[in-house]
Amino acid sequence: MNRYEMIYIIDADLEETARKELIEKVSALIANNGGEIEKVDETWGKRKLAYAIDYKTEGWYVLVTFTAPVDLPRELERNLQINENVLRYLVIKLVEKKHSVKPRAERPAPVAAPAEEAAPVEAAPAAVEAPAEEAAPAAEEAPADAE
Amino acid sequence: MSEDRGERRPRPRGGRRPRRKVCSFCVDKIEYIDYKDINRLRRFTNERGKILPRRMSGNCAKHQRQLSEAIKRARAIALMPYTVE
Repeated sequence: MNRYEMIYIIDADLEETARKELIEKVSALIANNGGEIEKVDETWGKRKLAYAIDYKTEGWYVLVTFTAPVDLPRELERNLQINENVLRYLVIKLVEKKHSVKPRAERPAPVAAPAEEAAPVEAAPAAVEAPAEEAAPAAEEAPADAE
Repeated sequence: MSEDRGERRPRPRGGRRPRRKVCSFCVDKIEYIDYKDINRLRRFTNERGKILPRRMSGNCAKHQRQLSEAIKRARAIALMPYTVE
């Protein structure tokens, strides 16, 4: 499951009932294919297009945020492509905010590893004991491993 | 040319030195450049609708990449023009 954001432009000439119907249809399509709609934002409404599409200078923008399995966007795009009243669409996978700092701090293992390797070279019997000793505390709590 | 090497570096002549540009996205601490934020994006295109190069905008590489992606997305859904005549 991924989070997606879709924006599509409906023909502004389409009357309101038909437009509502179309929005419903698209929403239903997402819901029926295992997707979960987070938000349907119609506040954009009628906007002037930056360039004419099919000689039309205005369009009705709809923004949808949803969570869906990976194969849904393709199906969704296929359907939007068929619909004549949809001038443009754009489906984008939302990037989750990466907190790269945390995962790095969680593993001091690479630091501890060289120290463990160094020990067996000096004394082989110690190395046999060491993993056994370390295995038990490590299972209990991670900080013990660092020591 | 190469004889100058050991000596102190010659100051750029003409006096006026170009001010070091700072990436405005880094300054504003923006992690993700939204393609819907047209007012912001528009500042990075020229009057013909072309994306400004980094040497003009002063953006860092990371944000320039994101910015160009965002502008292209905005163009695709007619939020920004491909060309302005």
